[in-house]
Amino acid sequence: MTLSHFQIEFEKMINRDYFSDKIHPMRKEAFSKFIQNGLPTKKWEDWRFTNLASITTKEFHLSEVKDSPKGTIDLSPYQIEDVDTIVIYNGHYLESLSSTPPGLKLLSGLEYLSSKKGTFENSDNSPFDLLNTAFMDSGIAIIVEPNTNIKKPLRLLFISSGKNHLMVSPRVHIDVEESSSLFFIEQHVSQNSESYFQNESVFISVENNSQLDHIRIQSNSESTTNMANLHVKQQADSQYSFFQFADGCTLGRLNIYAKLKGEGADCALNGIALSTGNQHLGHHIIIDHKVPNCTSSQNFKSILQDQSSGVYSGRTIVRKDAQKTNSTQSNKNLLLSKDALMHSIPQLEIDADDVKCAHGSSTGALDDEALFYLRSRGLDILSAKKLLVHGFVSEMIETIKHEPTKNSIHSQLQNWLIHYS
Amino acid sequence: MLNINNLKASIDGKSILKGINLNIKPGEMHAIMGLNGSGKSTLANIISGRDSYTITEGNVIYKGESLLDKSPELRALKGIFMSFQYPVVIPGVNLTYFLKAALNAHRKHRGEDELDAMHFLKLIREKIKQVDIDEKYLKRAVNEGFSGGEKKRNEILQMITLEPSLSILDETDSGLDIDALKIVANGVNQYRTSENAFLVITHYQRLLNYLKPDYVHVLIDGKIVKSGDMSLALELEEKGYGWLEK
Repeated sequence: MTLSHFQIEFEKMINRDYFSDKIHPMRKEAFSKFIQNGLPTKKWEDWRFTNLASITTKEFHLSEVKDSPKGTIDLSPYQIEDVDTIVIYNGHYLESLSSTPPGLKLLSGLEYLSSKKGTFENSDNSPFDLLNTAFMDSGIAIIVEPNTNIKKPLRLLFISSGKNHLMVSPRVHIDVEESSSLFFIEQHVSQNSESYFQNESVFISVENNSQLDHIRIQSNSESTTNMANLHVKQQADSQYSFFQFADGCTLGRLNIYAKLKGEGADCALNGIALSTGNQHLGHHIIIDHKVPNCTSSQNFKSILQDQSSGVYSGRTIVRKDAQKTNSTQSNKNLLLSKDALMHSIPQLEIDADDVKCAHGSSTGALDDEALFYLRSRGLDILSAKKLLVHGFVSEMIETIKHEPTKNSIHSQLQNWLIHYS
Repeated sequence: MLNINNLKASIDGKSILKGINLNIKPGEMHAIMGLNGSGKSTLANIISGRDSYTITEGNVIYKGESLLDKSPELRALKGIFMSFQYPVVIPGVNLTYFLKAALNAHRKHRGEDELDAMHFLKLIREKIKQVDIDEKYLKRAVNEGFSGGEKKRNEILQMITLEPSLSILDETDSGLDIDALKIVANGVNQYRTSENAFLVITHYQRLLNYLKPDYVHVLIDGKIVKSGDMSLALELEEKGYGWLEK
């Protein structure tokens, strides 16, 4: 997709009468910045290992009314017990299939904008954030009002479908206000989707003494591209816990920018990426400790087959005032093929002097000793390998607090292993 | 049950075993004693199927079949078990799950039905009592956070669960205090029958006092230089190995 093609799609967007012109100035500003910088190339430090061919070699189109579902859609393959689900199909909100847990406030992007008196948070951190602001379509704001604990988890289910080379730009704002909590799941799946580019930006704000659990399941079909731009702001004594399970897409890249702005905030970021074929799955993390007495952890694991590749780039920034910061970074990768390639780049930038920061990274093949041990007990070589691969990530999945979500991810892992040989 | 004939093996071009001959019949317990580097563990590893060695001469016949061309798992399924000198930690793999998978692989091989979770748990709760392992360990990852003694008891637990014909105990006594040693020896002794055979590899006669092997062999520099009964082990304890080396 060339810049001029983006330009054509942008004109279409601006001229659509069902998009409010209130947002046009914001879109135009972001789009002109995007055009100035262009798409990242491998010369950009943070994009060295990300091959954008799955975007640049195709011409994507905005999702139209005709791309909304015809007839009913079967949600049973994505069933997770005990959650309320909002269904977004090719960028279209399917109200009739959606429900929200009691106590939760759900606003459209436009309603959210007016509640914020005409401005809401944006980011020009990356070309894809700019692109999201320019093209944002499925705008949703999830608000947990002060002193409210939402018991039932909320899921956003994004379904991509069809052969129309769609480009969809979901925009999600989540505000967990003071002394509140939410368990939030976003799940990305495909139905016969041959070519699809989703560029999602999520803005999360966790206010004083609040708690957000965020699970992200990225299981799109193999030919799709999923760009996730996740912005997190945390206030005092807030807890944010993130877990991604990714096994889909030809290119899946997760960018997290987390800012710890209030003392006592705790940010725990976890991820598992499973790749085969020519898939590329990247984790690009920045945690910014701006104030004292915060804790953060990064724990990411990738398992790579065939000639797939992956990135873990984790940067922890500790500002001068952020004394007593306690942070850890761990990245462990399992290469199941000689042709698989993993880039692991843990980084620390520390300007304070009284901090605890640890980081570790390891990449290797299956442990021969462990394999021999299992085989010497009668397990055939494939079962033994599968058991070790499963064991490599299963303990991370065990930490998910919502039982049905945990079980669903466990069975996805089992399914992935069925194809391992 | 096991016939080792003129077995010679090397690792990275270095000759380790220099012609081993050994016959083990059902019901017998053989002990192999020797210093570090004499080739004891190499022998155990070759029988159980570790592939880091090159066999340069000789053969190993188990129950009438050549053993050396078989995979480690097939040897296990045919009834060979090795208690590891250094049991391996398997992160993320729950001990119960592992034991059940291993036992069911054996049952399947024998043409028996696989045990379901409930029946397996009933069985394993009986077995852990014999080696004095607390039930909480069943929920842990294999050998993770186990003390040295617990790891060795876990090896014996696997042995009595999988019910092998030939058990090789590779320095099962190393790192054990006297209480753990008694538990391990007791577990082994309970499993001795006229059908099962044992090959016990050790530096010291301490474990042998509890096991009372039928035969004791001394391995020096890749060869069995002397064979005898339990009295040979006592003699070694008293005089060391020096008098056997020339």
